Amino acid sequence: MPVLRSIKRWFIDPQFARKKEFLRSLDIFKDLRDRELGYLVAALHSRTYREGEVVFVEGDIGRALFVLESGAVELTRPSAGGAPAVLYKLKPGDFFGEMALLESLPRTATATATEKTHLHLLYKSKLDALLQSEPRIGVSIMRHLARLLSARLRRMNADSKPVIGKND
Amino acid sequence: MTEARREFPVLTTFVVGGALLYAFSRLHHALAPFVLAAAFAYVLNPIVSYFEARGLRRSQLVVFGYVAAAALAFVAYAGLKSMILSETELFQERAPAYLSQLQKTAYAQQTLLTKKLPLPPKVAERALESAIGGALEVLQDLPAHVLTLLPLLAHALLVPFIGFFFLLDAPDGVEGGIQMCPSRYVEQAIHLLSEVDTVLGNYLRGLIIVVTVIFIVSFLGLLALGIDNALIIAAISGVSSVVPYFGLAMGILVGGAMAVYQFGTLVAAAKVALLFVGIRLLEEMLIQPIIARHSLHMHAMTNLFALIVGGATFGFLGLVFAVPAAGIIKALVSVTWSWYSSERGLTLGAADGVGVPYT
Repeated sequence: MPVLRSIKRWFIDPQFARKKEFLRSLDIFKDLRDRELGYLVAALHSRTYREGEVVFVEGDIGRALFVLESGAVELTRPSAGGAPAVLYKLKPGDFFGEMALLESLPRTATATATEKTHLHLLYKSKLDALLQSEPRIGVSIMRHLARLLSARLRRMNADSKPVIGKND
Repeated sequence: MTEARREFPVLTTFVVGGALLYAFSRLHHALAPFVLAAAFAYVLNPIVSYFEARGLRRSQLVVFGYVAAAALAFVAYAGLKSMILSETELFQERAPAYLSQLQKTAYAQQTLLTKKLPLPPKVAERALESAIGGALEVLQDLPAHVLTLLPLLAHALLVPFIGFFFLLDAPDGVEGGIQMCPSRYVEQAIHLLSEVDTVLGNYLRGLIIVVTVIFIVSFLGLLALGIDNALIIAAISGVSSVVPYFGLAMGILVGGAMAVYQFGTLVAAAKVALLFVGIRLLEEMLIQPIIARHSLHMHAMTNLFALIVGGATFGFLGLVFAVPAAGIIKALVSVTWSWYSSERGLTLGAADGVGVPYT
């Protein structure tokens, strides 16, 4: 029915649908259902950063996960000489600062927008609220973070000597 | 490209906050409809957000919601019109008689009690005169106190009107604020917003449950006791419950006065008082545990202190908003402590078992 379709179009928010599709394309949120993605979009805050604008500085207390929708972000840390050394260049679809969702500890690098960048922020207490009201969303994100942590630990283990326990 | 680490300007935040609070105390009469409208929009926002999370446009939802609410109110009014009108007319007709009947009963009881009290008759008479006279004076002044609330009723149309724009544009306003916030402080700003949102949301949702339950249970209880104007008394008690302990006091006072007028005995008033004390106890035992997660987790003395300060500074509006405002101050202090302790490394970071090798 064309009338019903136009009424539906009048009610549907295209910006919201676009954000939802963007989140659906990310690995971390790929297991979520349509309705759950809707709750997630509602929980996100967005901000556009100008070129050169600092997102956070190493040592700042982290409290949010950042999802890069457009633009580019560089993660840097001071080198031995004091000049910032680039650790990683993030591209659209990447996320960073995810450890803040687990614990509020100092950031281990500085994040800077290297061009006009649009970021979505998932704040820790919003995720905690989602964990209560929509546990599937929390479980899905936490499972992904656990896999990520495990992969990083395995890589560190592979790169380093065997660790001996304190009691041995 | 790099930026030196700077601590969050806590002192500046508190100075600016203090200045805003002072400005608010000077302008609170003019700002009252805006504060009420913000509270109104805040209470309704979860309903809009629920449908918004399903991909619907906020603007259409708000317009549609207002039209639907107006239609619903009209239908409800049409359905309950006769009941509301008859209760109001009955109350208006009998109001002057209520007080004289109350006075008669009070003095009859006074004479009876003077004889029964184990005191010299003149001492007992004087003590009872002073106590009953004082209570009657309070009752006589009650309409004057209620009249001071009339300016708030004048906002009845203004509040939904301003609330409409709050509902429509508040999320854009928040996002605009985040965009304007210096990039380094975005996380802290959202931290603050989230904490205040949690405190306010929990309090208001809990309050709505309490007001609704008190209204329904007291209406049914008063009907069971055969008290006239049960709907009005229940509504007064329910709405007064937005101020802690005030709903109980209003229920006992107005319901008790009606019972004395209607039945001519203090026993009837005692039954009403028992009903409202029972409702209060039920609320403490049954409702509060359910909404415990919605509470502000503040000590009763803190609540009382907030109520006294709020009432003395901002009048009735201060009484209504004293407890949530105290909750917001608590959240601000908690956020400041969280920042301070995190910056100073005072919080425990790692979980137990971190020393066990990865396997």
